[in-house]
Amino acid sequence: MSLIGPSRKQGSQKSGARRAENNRIYAHPLPLVFPAPSPSTFGHLLGLFGLSTARLENPHCEGVFDPATRSVWIVNEKDSTILWRRGFFGKGDLSRSEPSWLARQTNARKAAGKYMTSEEVREKRRAERMQFKRDRAAAIARAAAEAEAAFAEGREAAPAIIPSGATWKPTPAPASESLPPPPEDEDEDEDEEIPEEEPLENVEHLQLTLQEAWFLVWNLDCLTVLDPYTNVPMSLQQIWRAFQDIHCVPPELPIYAGRFDNPFLIHYAAYHYYRALGWVVKGGIKFCVDYLLYKRGPVFHHAEFAVVVIPVYEDPADKESSPFNLPNADTFSWTWLSTVNRVNSRVQKTLILTYVTVPAQSRVSPDLLSSPACLAHYSVREVVLRRFIPARMRD
Amino acid sequence: MERHPSYQILSASLSKYPKAAGALFQTYNDLKLAQQWSDLEVIEVPGCSRYALRGRRPNTDVVLNVVPCSLSESLSTDWIRTTFRELNSPAHVYLAINTEDSSIVYYKISPGIVKPPL
Repeated sequence: MSLIGPSRKQGSQKSGARRAENNRIYAHPLPLVFPAPSPSTFGHLLGLFGLSTARLENPHCEGVFDPATRSVWIVNEKDSTILWRRGFFGKGDLSRSEPSWLARQTNARKAAGKYMTSEEVREKRRAERMQFKRDRAAAIARAAAEAEAAFAEGREAAPAIIPSGATWKPTPAPASESLPPPPEDEDEDEDEEIPEEEPLENVEHLQLTLQEAWFLVWNLDCLTVLDPYTNVPMSLQQIWRAFQDIHCVPPELPIYAGRFDNPFLIHYAAYHYYRALGWVVKGGIKFCVDYLLYKRGPVFHHAEFAVVVIPVYEDPADKESSPFNLPNADTFSWTWLSTVNRVNSRVQKTLILTYVTVPAQSRVSPDLLSSPACLAHYSVREVVLRRFIPARMRD
Repeated sequence: MERHPSYQILSASLSKYPKAAGALFQTYNDLKLAQQWSDLEVIEVPGCSRYALRGRRPNTDVVLNVVPCSLSESLSTDWIRTTFRELNSPAHVYLAINTEDSSIVYYKISPGIVKPPL
């Protein structure tokens, strides 16, 4: 079945078993889990009083702050699996989503990989699309030549048959290519090593953006961030300070002191807003936007919304004195808006402009910046954009 | 980052232009480990204060140039022209735009108008 044509089913192409598997693996929306308490009479009694014996299971993950890439690296494989599977935090730095580099290398070495990773599915889809484009170009060339010949002979040309995306079928591929997608058991793959070649060292890590890391550290307290040079866990104040200073080069300059428009704060306000509402927030560079919002996660369905973060200054004087080159802070042109909306409507995403208001330094004391309490002074508003075509949208 | 195997190879280049260090490191790892490029070498582009990468895709002979940059940077056409000049005027240059979550988006830039292949 072609990977580039429209799917038979209403939603995704996944089978029922695959969906059940995904529901099982990705059951927890956050790294903190409440394991079901065992039923007991004591528990029942407490329940009558509105109390509960439920415990909280905290995975206590550990990551390293990397200033050069402005991110937090989770090197431990167990922690990266937990953070990905419970909330889709982070991205494997050698993969398109979850860290699958080792699985892909192992598959390549075995050369008879039983399961395909998402990257391999993507390569297969791209190869099919390339083949479809070649077939279509050849059909167009044939139709043109036929029309020329018919015109020269003074007869009607035979009707041309140009393959379209919906009707084209790939030519039968060798059996080794039609593989089912894998179950998410990477831990088993990593244990199998090829005896002939040297064992593969997993050089991939899970990379969290500073916003994701701060969300885990501050709100859920399930992440410890280590200082890259001393390997000592950083305190909450140190992390809060370091994540903002990363945008201040060099950090000691007085122009950076007491700034509410630090890019980390503005992006964190937007990230926290959507995460707190239950959306899974991922980076949106592939669609020219800041963030993509997923209802449950990337493995379930494509993102429905694309978010562009636009900072708005409460006090114009703050904007004049800003040492940061904030993108989208100035009024945008209709060509830019039109382009971004066009890109996203092509992929069936709705564009959301998220306006984050930066509080005025004259009204709110910059001393508040020493703690996350300052975030309460940022306000987030959204404008949803849809292109209106009067001729077609009469109903 | 220091403990990563690629750091040894890149340490001189990373310390010379620290602002471009993150982008260079991420792009190098992506090309070498994920895309499996061969014969990767680091070329200095002083006009743009960074290092570029040159190598071959797997099973090909064509040498390609990749200039890493970060999403937070502002580029100008003059900047792009400088990369072409200092990389000895290749047919095209790939711009690797790096983000903080380690996504890299590659843009192929050619000097002049190019017809789409198919």
